[in-house]
Amino acid sequence: MSLWRLAWRRFCRDRVGIVSAAIVLAYVLLAAASAAGWVARDWSNEVGVSYAPPGFLGRDTVQEGLGEVIKAQPRADYGIPDPLGAELADIHANVSGASGRDTRAKTLAFGGDKWGRDVVQKAIKGTETSLVVGLAAAVLATFLGTLFGAAAGYRGGWVDDFFNWLYSVFTSIPYLLLVLAVAAVLDQKGILTVILILGLTGWTGIFRLIRAEYLKHRVREYVLAADAIGASNARRVFVHILPNVSHVVLVQLSLHVVLFIKSEVILSFLGFGVGVDTVSWGSMLAEAPSELILGMWWQIAAATAAMALAVTAFSLFTDAVRDALDPRLA
Amino acid sequence: MSLLSVRNLGVGFGQVEAVKSVSFDISEHSTVALVGESGSGKSVTALSILGLLPETATRRGEILYGGRNLLQTASRELRALRGAEISMIFQEPMSSLNPVFSVGFQVGEALREHLGLSRGGARRRILELFREVGLSDPEVKVGRYPFQLSGGEQQRVMIAMAIACEPKLLIADEPTSALDVTVQKQILDLIAELQRRRRMSMLFITHDLSLVGTIAEQVIVMRQGEIREQGSVAEVFGAPRDDYTRALLACRPPLDHRPARLPTIESLAPAKEERKRGLRGDEAVVLEARGLAKRFDRVEAVKGASFRLAKGRTLGLVGESGSGKTTLGFLVTGLHRASAGEVRFHGEDARSVPRLAFKRKVQIVFQNPYASLNPRFSVGQILTEPMRIHGIGRDEAERRSRAEGLLAKVGLPGSALFKYPHEFSGGQRQRIAIARALALGPELVVCDEAVSALDVSIQAQLLNLLQDLQDEYAMSYLFISHDLAVVKYMADEVMVMKDGEIVEMAGSDEIYAEPKHPYTKALLASIPK
Amino acid sequence: MKYVVRRLWQFVPTLAGVVLLVFFLFNWVGGDPAYILAGKIANPELIENIRRSLGVDQPYWVQLWIFVRQVATGDFGVSWATNERVSQIFATRLGPSLTVLLPLLITSTLLAMAAAMLVAYWRGSLTDRAIMIGCTVGQSISILVYILVFQYVLAYQLGWFPVQGWGGTLGENLLRYGALPVLVGVVVALAPDIRLYRSFFLDEINQDYVRTARAKGLAEGRVMWLHVLRNAAIPIATNVMIQIPGLLAGAFLIERFFSIPGIGREVILAVERSDFPVIKAVTIYVAIATMIINLAADLLYKALDPRVELE
Repeated sequence: MSLWRLAWRRFCRDRVGIVSAAIVLAYVLLAAASAAGWVARDWSNEVGVSYAPPGFLGRDTVQEGLGEVIKAQPRADYGIPDPLGAELADIHANVSGASGRDTRAKTLAFGGDKWGRDVVQKAIKGTETSLVVGLAAAVLATFLGTLFGAAAGYRGGWVDDFFNWLYSVFTSIPYLLLVLAVAAVLDQKGILTVILILGLTGWTGIFRLIRAEYLKHRVREYVLAADAIGASNARRVFVHILPNVSHVVLVQLSLHVVLFIKSEVILSFLGFGVGVDTVSWGSMLAEAPSELILGMWWQIAAATAAMALAVTAFSLFTDAVRDALDPRLA
Repeated sequence: MSLLSVRNLGVGFGQVEAVKSVSFDISEHSTVALVGESGSGKSVTALSILGLLPETATRRGEILYGGRNLLQTASRELRALRGAEISMIFQEPMSSLNPVFSVGFQVGEALREHLGLSRGGARRRILELFREVGLSDPEVKVGRYPFQLSGGEQQRVMIAMAIACEPKLLIADEPTSALDVTVQKQILDLIAELQRRRRMSMLFITHDLSLVGTIAEQVIVMRQGEIREQGSVAEVFGAPRDDYTRALLACRPPLDHRPARLPTIESLAPAKEERKRGLRGDEAVVLEARGLAKRFDRVEAVKGASFRLAKGRTLGLVGESGSGKTTLGFLVTGLHRASAGEVRFHGEDARSVPRLAFKRKVQIVFQNPYASLNPRFSVGQILTEPMRIHGIGRDEAERRSRAEGLLAKVGLPGSALFKYPHEFSGGQRQRIAIARALALGPELVVCDEAVSALDVSIQAQLLNLLQDLQDEYAMSYLFISHDLAVVKYMADEVMVMKDGEIVEMAGSDEIYAEPKHPYTKALLASIPK
Repeated sequence: MKYVVRRLWQFVPTLAGVVLLVFFLFNWVGGDPAYILAGKIANPELIENIRRSLGVDQPYWVQLWIFVRQVATGDFGVSWATNERVSQIFATRLGPSLTVLLPLLITSTLLAMAAAMLVAYWRGSLTDRAIMIGCTVGQSISILVYILVFQYVLAYQLGWFPVQGWGGTLGENLLRYGALPVLVGVVVALAPDIRLYRSFFLDEINQDYVRTARAKGLAEGRVMWLHVLRNAAIPIATNVMIQIPGLLAGAFLIERFFSIPGIGREVILAVERSDFPVIKAVTIYVAIATMIINLAADLLYKALDPRVELE
């Protein structure tokens, strides 16, 4: 029974691992469904009134409040027709939702944002953004880091020197600063840009670990034995050593998905991430400060909850995978 | 008078019962040896006396000392005993000492904890102790860190720490196994001397039966958590009743004669014929090394080695750790490139032989059975890979049947093809490694400490296997080991290596009978009788 | 000391690399800064003038030389947004950053160490697992949320701290304006630190020397707080040092929201305004600081661990 099968068995016995894997899978499916357009396609439709509160709160407190404010103002005529009367009436009607656009809901499942867009739909769409960015960028960074690490660790010599130099250059600049600098320069929003930014700057941690692994394995006896029977360098690197470091690669991939999801949120929050036509948990959070002042907490709650659940599930999943793959237990 | 009594001790970790039901006594002022191979439960038994087992271990039975059952004693009382009345020393002195504190500080801790000595008083006592355990320049050593001392010195520090508070019982868990052969004897003598002078009792744990005679009065033989035999040394060694004990006693290669096959647990009867060893002088030379040298950065691992390997014969290479013997083996195999000198294979410069062709002829078996097989490969993949690289066999099916043949040759079933290394024991993995080396039909196999990591009973089986293969295929062996008895048994000619140089080379019988070089003499003197 | 000199020499290729990277990013990839500076008025003459004054109409190698000179002299010109001298910007912003950073670092490290040691000691227990799950969940919430929520609840609603701002004296800054930012920073840093330090402690607890210490009859407290801690302090200390450069730039979110006039806030503003000279200068300065701090970390490592030999 191969080590993979043993690891799978160990994983299946870990209840926390199974549950978190299920949650991760659910998120991935949700993101896929969103990407395919089966859910949340019309997230940008302004289906609710501005700042529609969540349905479970009971009444449309906000609307009542704002309506009260407008009603409370005394109308002193002095016999002069109000030049702004028509407009005011319009505004009043809009605010209380009694204008021509009667179809706007007073409450939404988890509330609406400033333009009346459904928060739940936005959160789902944000899931798609975050997962796509997180996974794609993690794959890119892991690929680069593994390739560079294997080359540097196995070959040594000037190849190692070159990659170490590259590593020290990239790590001399703190991660977020580097990301921001690249974002500032590219000045171009969009998912692809974010993926490239994160992937091209985030390979350093993986590089260091894989390089250390290759340095360690290069002198292990099973590799020497492969040399003794005539295996070429390429064969030793890819066929012999790589499967034995793959557990490190997998865990790093998973960790970086989490890191990149969090980084994307910060980037989008600051306005450097996805464009205005895409929604991200970060852009939802960006609307939060002004909302909190008015007492509207549902968008920040939705975004935080969605993100926290995803990241927690992913982290626990990573821990379970790491425990299952730990060769020390073999 | 019994100092410590163990009654029906049982220790379990989860599902596994490491110790099943063990009972023995240790009398005052006497030494009891606890012998067993890996997995026998001897260390676990020792650790349970002082309560040093991990929290997750389950314990049954009694350990009676001073009228108390140590398994039930409160931790505060137990702590008062540890280091003061019962002390313990361990196998790996380097990792057993805290790397960031000086050795003087660590020994002083025991003194201050139990005897409440002042700083000055403790320092004086530490210096006395260091002198007693034979450390040179104690004033200097007191301030040294563990990594600045040699293995032997570190173990002396551990011993000083253990005897500092005049314990009644000293537990020594394989105290010499991790040390070089020449140092082992010194430490053993020291421990024996201390035990006598201070009239301590000692529980001496080891896997090496030959050490027992010199140091203990009583011996206990353990296997897989149970006691197989116990009694006085004379009884157990003279007339062993248990099969396993007999196997342990018989399986070591003897120094004074050379049976054609070593007895193993399966066939304990000693072989009648003797095997003659030695070179006639007219054998064909398979490989010759001239002035072979290897340097790493500033260190010269091998300084100019010259020797010849005859066809179908075994050249033994003996040395301690750091002597360069493994490097030399790698140079012969082509795993390292020589800094100077040359290797001639059947008269031709080895460097001019094409790489793959050379590797077909010269193979190697490594020491560590757990590291020399790729854990991700199945046994079938391990065995067919060399064939695939060298183009042996027309297709996968033929290669697979050849692999089965190899497995049969090394005594493993064909079903092993589909299993993975971790499903096999150390001895079985070594058989797979030998099968892999055989796959290409080599003329020369370097055995780099190939049996050193195995238990005595398994060692004997593997040595017999290697000999059978040599007889069948007329392969030459470069047999590298630190174990003098094994080398004498296996080799026709023996080279002794120290600090990268070959200090003596002679036929195996001569070199053991009349060693010339002082280092060789010291090595031979350190073999326990 | 030869080691220090050697390491200082090694700064050169790394710094050269950073300079090249920054140059590549800003002067080549970075688009035409003239458009940005000219603002909305895209008057061709104006743009040409700006281009000439910035020197971006020169061939690349001339621009590189200009940049290298700037790095060597420490004079990066003026900010494109505020016209303040870049070096002046740094001099004045460093203080506030450190006023928040140092208390944050010290507090979070001490708390995390204590918590991690206890958790490592009780490994496998309910407390251990509860705290670890708590850390995992805590880490999954974005720092943005922590800032927003803490600001809203503790400052805006409850009024325990000022919502944002900075004062004139050090005392005022430390105790009043800096309190909430430091609190948020500590809370955010605790979760990952506890996890990391726990793994350091666990590595040490499983070592043989701990068994020896117990075999000598030492009390558990002494074994943990003296023997284990002293060994675990090595990776912890180096880890703390390595975090410092990241914190310098990374506290930008905290500085931005609490309106603390530190380096981080400057960086965000610069990025938002595409103020290239400031961003370039920050990157270079922080890179140099990182290299110096890494060297200091290695020296600290040597001081703490007698086994280490710096060749």
